[in-house]
Amino acid sequence: MLTGRRGFLAATGALAATSWARPTLSADSIKIGFTTALTGPFNEFGEGYKRGIELAIEKINKAGGVMGRPVEIAMLLDDQLIPDRSVQNMRRILDNKEIVGLFCPSGSGPTLAVIDMIQADGRPTMNPQAQTPTVIYPGGPGTKPRPNVYTFSIQNDIEANFMAAILAKKYTRIGLLNESTGYGKTGGELVKGGILKINKDAVVTHESYNQKDQDMTSQLVRVQRARSEALMVVGLGADMAVIRKNMVRMNMTLPLYVSAGGFSPPYVEGVGDLALGTKGSQYRKISTVPPAPEVLEFLNAYKAKHGTDRLWGGDPAIPSPSMGGTVAGGYDGMTVLADAWKRAGTTDAAAVIKAMDATKGLIGVNCTYEFTPDKHHAVEVGDLTTYEYTKVDGRLTLVQANL
Amino acid sequence: MEEFLTLLLAGVSVGAVYGLIAIGLNLTFWTTKTMNFGQGSVMMLCAMLTATMIAQGWPQVLSILAALAVIVVLMVFTETYTVRPALKIEGSMGWAVSTLGVGIVLQGFASLWFGSQALAFPDIIFSAIDDVVVFGVHMSLQYLAVLVLALVLVVAFELLVRGTVWGRAMRAVSMDADLASVIGIPVRIIVLGSYIGSGVLAGISGILVAQIGGTVDPAFGFELVIFGFVAAVLGGMGSTTGALAGGLVAGVLQQMVGGYISSAAQHGMAFALLILILVVRPQGLFGQREVVKV
Amino acid sequence: MIIAFRTVLTRLITHPVFILAAIAALFFGSAFLSGGTVAILGFLMLNILLAQSMNLLTGIAGQISLGHAGFYGMGAYASGILMKTVGLPFVVTVPAAALIGALTGYLLSFPAGRVREFYLAMMTLAFGLIFREVVREWDDLTGGAVGLSGVPSTTLRTLHVFGYTLDGLDYFRVILIVTVIVMWLVHNFIQSRYGRAFYAIHASEVAAGCLGIPRAGTKQLAYTLAAGMAGLAGGLYAHMIGYLGPESFDLARSIAVLVTTVVGGLGSMAGQIMSAVVFTFLPEKLQVFAEYQFIVYGLILAFTLILLPRGLAGLLLLPPRFIKPSSLRHAVAAEVAIRPVETDKDAALVVQGVTMRFGGLTAVDDVSLELHPGRITALIGPNGSGKSTLVNVISGIYTPAAGSVRFFGETITGLPDHRIAASGLLRTFQDPRLVPRFTVRENLLLGAHRRYKSSALAATLGLPSAAREEAQFLGTVEAVTRMAGISDVLDQPLESLPYGYRRLVEVGRALLAEPRAILLDEPAAGLSEAEMTLLARMIRAMKEAGLMVLLIEHHMDFVAELVDDVVVLDSGRVIYHGDIGGMRQSPEVIAAYLGTAETEHA
Repeated sequence: MLTGRRGFLAATGALAATSWARPTLSADSIKIGFTTALTGPFNEFGEGYKRGIELAIEKINKAGGVMGRPVEIAMLLDDQLIPDRSVQNMRRILDNKEIVGLFCPSGSGPTLAVIDMIQADGRPTMNPQAQTPTVIYPGGPGTKPRPNVYTFSIQNDIEANFMAAILAKKYTRIGLLNESTGYGKTGGELVKGGILKINKDAVVTHESYNQKDQDMTSQLVRVQRARSEALMVVGLGADMAVIRKNMVRMNMTLPLYVSAGGFSPPYVEGVGDLALGTKGSQYRKISTVPPAPEVLEFLNAYKAKHGTDRLWGGDPAIPSPSMGGTVAGGYDGMTVLADAWKRAGTTDAAAVIKAMDATKGLIGVNCTYEFTPDKHHAVEVGDLTTYEYTKVDGRLTLVQANL
Repeated sequence: MEEFLTLLLAGVSVGAVYGLIAIGLNLTFWTTKTMNFGQGSVMMLCAMLTATMIAQGWPQVLSILAALAVIVVLMVFTETYTVRPALKIEGSMGWAVSTLGVGIVLQGFASLWFGSQALAFPDIIFSAIDDVVVFGVHMSLQYLAVLVLALVLVVAFELLVRGTVWGRAMRAVSMDADLASVIGIPVRIIVLGSYIGSGVLAGISGILVAQIGGTVDPAFGFELVIFGFVAAVLGGMGSTTGALAGGLVAGVLQQMVGGYISSAAQHGMAFALLILILVVRPQGLFGQREVVKV
Repeated sequence: MIIAFRTVLTRLITHPVFILAAIAALFFGSAFLSGGTVAILGFLMLNILLAQSMNLLTGIAGQISLGHAGFYGMGAYASGILMKTVGLPFVVTVPAAALIGALTGYLLSFPAGRVREFYLAMMTLAFGLIFREVVREWDDLTGGAVGLSGVPSTTLRTLHVFGYTLDGLDYFRVILIVTVIVMWLVHNFIQSRYGRAFYAIHASEVAAGCLGIPRAGTKQLAYTLAAGMAGLAGGLYAHMIGYLGPESFDLARSIAVLVTTVVGGLGSMAGQIMSAVVFTFLPEKLQVFAEYQFIVYGLILAFTLILLPRGLAGLLLLPPRFIKPSSLRHAVAAEVAIRPVETDKDAALVVQGVTMRFGGLTAVDDVSLELHPGRITALIGPNGSGKSTLVNVISGIYTPAAGSVRFFGETITGLPDHRIAASGLLRTFQDPRLVPRFTVRENLLLGAHRRYKSSALAATLGLPSAAREEAQFLGTVEAVTRMAGISDVLDQPLESLPYGYRRLVEVGRALLAEPRAILLDEPAAGLSEAEMTLLARMIRAMKEAGLMVLLIEHHMDFVAELVDDVVVLDSGRVIYHGDIGGMRQSPEVIAAYLGTAETEHA
């Protein structure tokens, strides 16, 4: 009387439900699929790169498609950056054999959760945002990449090397703060390693904090105690605001550097003018004035469809460089994949991968793309530059600063 | 030395807020032996409403009062529709689950309404730059203001409980609600009042913490409630001085551990403290062992 | 109409043929489903395990767990790390995961006996958060925030068991079989004295204590078993995906499990399955659900326990029962309702100089009395004279400030109530402490708790020895109910019966424990004439069987016919001790409260 086994009904229900989940699509299109954070606290990332992909698809289809066929997002699933859900979603996507191109989820956590599955599957996969190097190079940077995965993001090690070079050149005592997520921790380790490689006598005070912590006093005290000359933070904008305020309360006046993620809107919204002088790295090309033709085309398309919104940034004339990460990564990924399909003349996985590995001189919004069988990342140190919050016309903007 | 004082001030300031939260939790525990497990969302909602209204251009004081008014309504709703009915059913812990549920609903609504990104919280009294120099040490006025405000509220609360008729009525209800109702004390009102009071204290705590941090987001407040609970248990559930003492101890300990041992240990420390206290001395520093009449 | 529907549905889903057919359908039918669907079904099994684990802890034992994801995570990381880093095989790591989960639950519940339930609830909440912190900080072991990848799994075909490589389909079948076995074991456990003990603790802790059910120990057992099940689910989870990250084991996960259990219906195993099906498939199929998930879950938690306290199971099925139907069928009516007590020279309950104070109030002041086998002693006195307090002291609920209590020569002063009960000294309460949702039969059977000899293992495995013992006690139950005259309501839930029945059941339950002494606290209060006759009959049977009986009563007529001697208390002091005739003449007693012609109201 206490137990029941509704397994039979569940199995029937599952069968029925699975068939319900597949929408009807045009038989002729080239289909791609992905799962990302469309809703929830991190939806700006998922929503962002989705927009990038859509803009690229519109451009491609307007020009006649690929091999005469339109490109279409056949499966778009929401995982809210929760790895379990990414896994379940990705499995459903992989079950759909009509899908010939994949994108990785936002965020290193969900991507790492699905990457083994994707590698085992073999279909060409573009990674638009996750920055952890092991997504592409399971053995670490410099080892053999996963055969079917290509990244369009700034890899942590690239960014870390860039920042480390700047910091080690100017300072010998450096405070380093990172958030305790995958992004923060690998970023922190890499920056520290990079600094010590350049100057093995540098003193790096390395602390961590949890996202959404309200008080960073103890971490900052330790940085201060070590008589640090500068502070570098690997984290996101919201926590940057807390850190900055904390620093001001403690009368800490050392120069502040942030990683790319720290330049997001909540930072300036949270501290206003206190952000003045904060420096950090980001994509170069997208915010260079005047913009290159391919960048201008992308920006105009974005403005036409979405206006100069929160992802664009505060200055209607110049986009925030973070758009390179939130939106352009998807745009470039789709562009390169479509180009590979064209060159391969087919959507067959093996042939497409061969074509991807032969990509050379392909001009994108974030950089010029080149992949080889041994190198599956494209954004290099030269594609980054430093920015600094400056007052322009009374408004706080990110201005390219050459350090 | 300056470093020690910086840590101490931060610890005492944050700790005072923990104490405030703890008193709020104590309040309902006193009168009903229940606690709002969704208190974190109350803190968050108050802070978010205040931030939004100030951003719209409303005067600061008005925004705070309006936000608190919303909280009052919310607490009345919570007590009437989720706590009282749950208490009528089968004793055990239904109210914990239902108050937690309300907290989660609020978090969900806040995510949809305000968006899930962090919202900037404006400087209310002082800004982060304002400080005062005492014995050569820079002390942030923001921290001091928070500390002073928290202490004032605690003292006011104690005076209320010990000095006024309502305070005595509350103590009567806390000892024996049935007897209190029989001798004419309006128990319903006292219980509702305790929930409202608890919510107001939480709301103010939320604003104070948001002041320090500078941002609010829908998940704000959840961990703070745990710290508030640690403070309450540490000091002895049901004791106001205990709540404040417990909060100060927890806050300072956190900062000291973070400053001198490791910042990583800082977070787990509060939780470990809670488990330790419950195992070693469940009645806390100032509490009394409960005797239940059979 | 509704009852008929519920009966039919319940009979259907508990019928062995249906159950086997469903398992077979899943086992063989899964070969025809897509990889994604098989994976979802795998998650369904894990969700069922989690829901059952929380059901055992919260639904049956009444302990709240707000950090269940922590136990799940402990198991997952344990199995993942043991296999990846240490290289142990699957058949070792998964049971290890269960053990580690169980150990965690055991340790966490240490304060169980000393603090109120909601402290434990907060502790589980804190534990869930600490677990996540520790995982994130301890990179070397767990991979930290980045997570642990490369755990041998079916995804990459790196999971080998005895040389055979498991794929998704194989693994689902493994999980299915494990889930079925675990549920069968839990089912046996619940329908044994252990399940009844768990539920008794939930319904009334104090009563459970007096029946010989150790409070703290039982709660700890509940936490241990539930955490073990969650750890097992975690171990199985780890090898489904091959990647473990701290975000999979956060508060949202704990909430999801809680919601599943609450909606399914606290206390019902079948309800958990139904609910797990809903909450596994719903987020999958309703993508829009993700955005509103928090609100939906929150609303469910906020109102379900109030509006639909028994969840889906309450709506669709008959209430779960705690006795195996097979045991009922084999029950043989016992001949004797009350086992005769063996007496020896020490056979007495000696209360000497007991004093009990509460703050400034002296409730019991230097009281001495003796009980002997085969004698009924009445304890009377005005309200507030200390009668109940004295009984509380004797039965171990209070420790006296002075004095001693000896039972069969052993000093029992200050021992905890369940130990005193275990030594054969039982008491009833002024306010009957029964389990309202249990049937009369289940309530009575609870009384025999301390008399069982078969172990938990035997009960869980459903061994014949355990079944025989259960049948034997069921037989005694029938004999006692015949004597009490309540055989016609044996299978009705207690809450549906009038007050008089509850009193009789409470007294009957005490008899099931085969007491050597029994303290009855105002048993006749609120009974009708007919019921009082039945009660008197029971009390006389006790006397004949040689029990020591202490009877607190106000109802003088009732008392006069039954008792051998009387002790009168006033303001905590003994003012008379002797036979009932002498009491009526005693000037102190008359002065205290008896008018010569008056009788105390019942």
